Amino acid sequence: MDITRAKIRDLRKALDSKQISAAELCGEYFKNIEAGDGKVQSFITVTKEKALEMAENAQKRIDSGDVSPLTGIPLAIKDNICTDGIKTTCASKMLENFIPPYNATVIEKLNAEGYVLLGKTSMDEFAMGGSTQTSAFAKTKNPYDLERVPGGSSGGSAAAVSASFAPAALGSDTGGSIRQPASFCGVTGIKPTYGRVSRYGLVAFASSLDQIGPICSDARDCAVMLNAICAHDPHDATSSRQPVPDFTEKLGQSVSGMKIAMPKEFYSDDIDDEVKTHVMNAAKTLEAQGAKLVECSIPGLKYAIPAYYLIACAEAASNLSRFDGIKYGFRGEGRTFEELIRDSRSKGFGEEVKRRILLGNYALSSGYYDAYYKKALALKQQIIKEYNAVFDLADVILTPTAPTPAYKIGAQDNDPVKMYLADICTVTVNIASLPGISTTCGYTAEGLPVGMSVIGRRFDEQTILQCADAFEQTFAPTAPAKL
Amino acid sequence: MSAYFPTIGLETHAELSTNSKVFCTCSAEFGGTPNSRCCPVCSGLPGTLPVLNRKAVEYIIKAGYVMNCDISRFTKWDRKNYFYPDLPKAYQISQMPRPVCLAGKVKINVKGEEKEIRINRIHLEEDAGKLVHDDVNRISLADYNRCGVPLIEIVTEPDFHSADEVVAYLEKIMLLLQYAGICDCKMEQGSIRCDVNISIAPKGSNELGTRTELKNLNSLKAIAKAIEVEIERQEELLDNGERVIQQTRRFNEALGETTAMRSKEDAHDYRYFPDPDIPPIILTEEELDEIRSSIPELPEQRVARYVEQCGIKKQDADLIVSDKKICDFYEEAIQAYDNPKAVANYVTGELLRRKNLGEVDMDDLKFSGREFAQLVEFLQTDKISQSNAKAILGEMIANGGTPKDIADAQDLWIKEDSDLLAKTVDEIIANNPKAAEQYRSGDQKVFGFFMGQANKALKGLASPKAIQEYIKKKLSE
Amino acid sequence: MAVELKTIQHLCELSKLNYDEAGLEKVMGEMGDIIDLMDTIKTFDLTYDDTKDNNSISLSEVREDVPQPSFPTEKLLSNAENRDNCYVVPKVVE
Repeated sequence: MDITRAKIRDLRKALDSKQISAAELCGEYFKNIEAGDGKVQSFITVTKEKALEMAENAQKRIDSGDVSPLTGIPLAIKDNICTDGIKTTCASKMLENFIPPYNATVIEKLNAEGYVLLGKTSMDEFAMGGSTQTSAFAKTKNPYDLERVPGGSSGGSAAAVSASFAPAALGSDTGGSIRQPASFCGVTGIKPTYGRVSRYGLVAFASSLDQIGPICSDARDCAVMLNAICAHDPHDATSSRQPVPDFTEKLGQSVSGMKIAMPKEFYSDDIDDEVKTHVMNAAKTLEAQGAKLVECSIPGLKYAIPAYYLIACAEAASNLSRFDGIKYGFRGEGRTFEELIRDSRSKGFGEEVKRRILLGNYALSSGYYDAYYKKALALKQQIIKEYNAVFDLADVILTPTAPTPAYKIGAQDNDPVKMYLADICTVTVNIASLPGISTTCGYTAEGLPVGMSVIGRRFDEQTILQCADAFEQTFAPTAPAKL
Repeated sequence: MSAYFPTIGLETHAELSTNSKVFCTCSAEFGGTPNSRCCPVCSGLPGTLPVLNRKAVEYIIKAGYVMNCDISRFTKWDRKNYFYPDLPKAYQISQMPRPVCLAGKVKINVKGEEKEIRINRIHLEEDAGKLVHDDVNRISLADYNRCGVPLIEIVTEPDFHSADEVVAYLEKIMLLLQYAGICDCKMEQGSIRCDVNISIAPKGSNELGTRTELKNLNSLKAIAKAIEVEIERQEELLDNGERVIQQTRRFNEALGETTAMRSKEDAHDYRYFPDPDIPPIILTEEELDEIRSSIPELPEQRVARYVEQCGIKKQDADLIVSDKKICDFYEEAIQAYDNPKAVANYVTGELLRRKNLGEVDMDDLKFSGREFAQLVEFLQTDKISQSNAKAILGEMIANGGTPKDIADAQDLWIKEDSDLLAKTVDEIIANNPKAAEQYRSGDQKVFGFFMGQANKALKGLASPKAIQEYIKKKLSE
Repeated sequence: MAVELKTIQHLCELSKLNYDEAGLEKVMGEMGDIIDLMDTIKTFDLTYDDTKDNNSISLSEVREDVPQPSFPTEKLLSNAENRDNCYVVPKVVE
């Protein structure tokens, strides 16, 4: 069989039993990358030399029996997660040549496990978008249909896993940026509870919403990845001190008796019929396993898009102010400080990033703050309240991950409003700091994957992993054709 | 007599003397080669996050207590957004709607009159870096060593009406902050700096005039002068029928004038919003009680103790307490030698005299309070003479060393050599028969003459007491 | 609803962004549409109470004041135009 289609846990066995060496294993993925990434364009930087060096170190650990779950496992990392000595561009001209002098905490944790870095994956510029088409360097294609988008913003990570360029990848999710590309590319991605994973070293888009998480080929691998990256971090004051469980613990347990809520607003006419059908069928499958389906409502959803964009863009406008061409990044021209920063920012940022900075400053500026930003915070409190009420009745919530399957490249160009509205299924999970996992629940007539999302209580990743896994065990996924 | 009445408010920034910076673990110490006390966090690298320093929070709470503020039980941090090359993140982490301290008051004393200054708020924020301008190459060089040093901003109500009041207030809060142990208040190093808001209005008017803001004043002298000059400038404007424009002004100390820095009032929209990287803090009564009880003895309490328990004159106690360094030195001395009055006399009489003459630098003292106490003790117990004590202190100031070692080395001890004493005094009396006769016939005034002669001749080899006794005995024979 | 030119110009000023004439025209249109979408939040009538957020921590969870070694200056400046261990900034005009 093709080892690059194996799960992390199978790779672990293969490595530990010396069926394959760590160097050979990452070599297999590089073969796929070299053969197919010219078409998919999921990577911005491929770190082949570095990977072989890391693989050799991992092999030494394996040979000496000093093995962690990810020792020798090759991974792809989204290009907004800082890697010491390796370019981290955020897919922006602004950071085209930026080499961080430090590692993100998640990278330190993966290093401690002895992982192997395959490369840095493409994304929407500064994680702002849902198509990976705003990337300044690699406009990633969907492995199921190269004319379609892979979703975003972690489109490079999702496409890389989907196309077997990597067994798993890290992404980041601010309003759906792990779950939506996972659903478009037919893979599984989890956004952990806000605070589960350290954000230190993740180039911030919206600090109160950003969360790093894995994209894998199934929920079980997601659990293995979470075990490696979740922990309190003294470098991130928003990282949680909640005890971290073994995320694989509930996998394989029956969903019998589990209460699954389906808020009616997520099944409205705005959602594609084919998508709705697949998600509802999945619900029936779970029901057949003994789960109870519960009707409920999240009325605040109708304000979710403006609330999300106001909060996210306000924070982004401030977070992205540090890019001025002085300390790092693209340095424009100018005789004065003012001229230099204006030139650097105007030429270094792409159009969507600029629009969001403008919107963020609009929401925060004098005279507008109460009407927009503060109102959005009020709505955040309301949405949290509504979710809490649902979780009084149910253990998890089931929704579509996106209103449509992967769409054609160019379909949303020049229409930011249409692009923003497409985030409706995912943003409230970030607003309410909840964990959410997307897994494939079917394919459209055209063969495009459809994703469903399972949302859980804060810090209850175990139950959504259990639920997604229970469905996956009944479902036979169709991998995209080999490239 | 001016026809106008000035109204002044103050914003004072004080750097807290924590070990590490407020949002990262770099050293907060002053100095260092450029960008050597920096890390990815305080240099604003992408992906980095601020992590608040608990000591900084404890210190601002102490500041609140010593200025009689209400301490918020719920406090949080905000971002103040603006672009400037000394601010690497392009926002300063500060506090807007929920500062740690609100509504306090500080008592000041101006020319014998007590007055209360109301504190509007005190909040915690981070300092910015330093720019060195290279006008030849038309560039500036940015050093972020100061970035992230914790600052408190103390905002008063507009309760001042003269430069004297402002100076008295600043002296008072500097003393309070120093005694609370939270700021070293070195104006020359910028660890305390001041912005002054000034307006004038015709006397009797109920309305405040348009105010101007004087920025970054860093000595008490400059502050007093700047206020006087700015009041005069505003008075002249009004006298000439002109208007005061709301603007930020800079004080040029050399020229003794204030000049406008910028007047675009609408240019600044700081877009404050809660910093999502820093969780708000809930403070409990227990935590606040513990912090409050850890505040060291404050100036007023020390004065009271010196007066009531040590029997020191109020005036001397005030003098000692008005300089924290002197006062701590004094405390150390009276721990070593339990004679607070004698030590106080020697501190105010000798040490402060020499300090005021510029002979002593308290920041670079070569001897301890314990050694100073030893000197006072030798003097009190007639082991050395007054003049030799002064010589020993001079030596300690110049080169350090203990009084004992110096007295040994230079042979400055009172020898109590009764033969020498007798021989010397006998000779003096013999050489001055007229004076001896005068004394014996009842003229006590000449006693002083004999004392002086004997002291001079014995050069500290006998104690004044022994000399006095022997002369008395001899003259009564 | 169209956004006024002076509003966009003010936002560009706050954001330190330049647009040429055509770019400004285009972004004005886009921002008008985006703000229309944002305006839908105005019908939501609850108010924000920051004391009701559940993200507060206690003082004991705040970092202790223990300094750690700083970072090598050279490494910090490695992505910047620098001189004499400092970042080089064009003249600031007030």
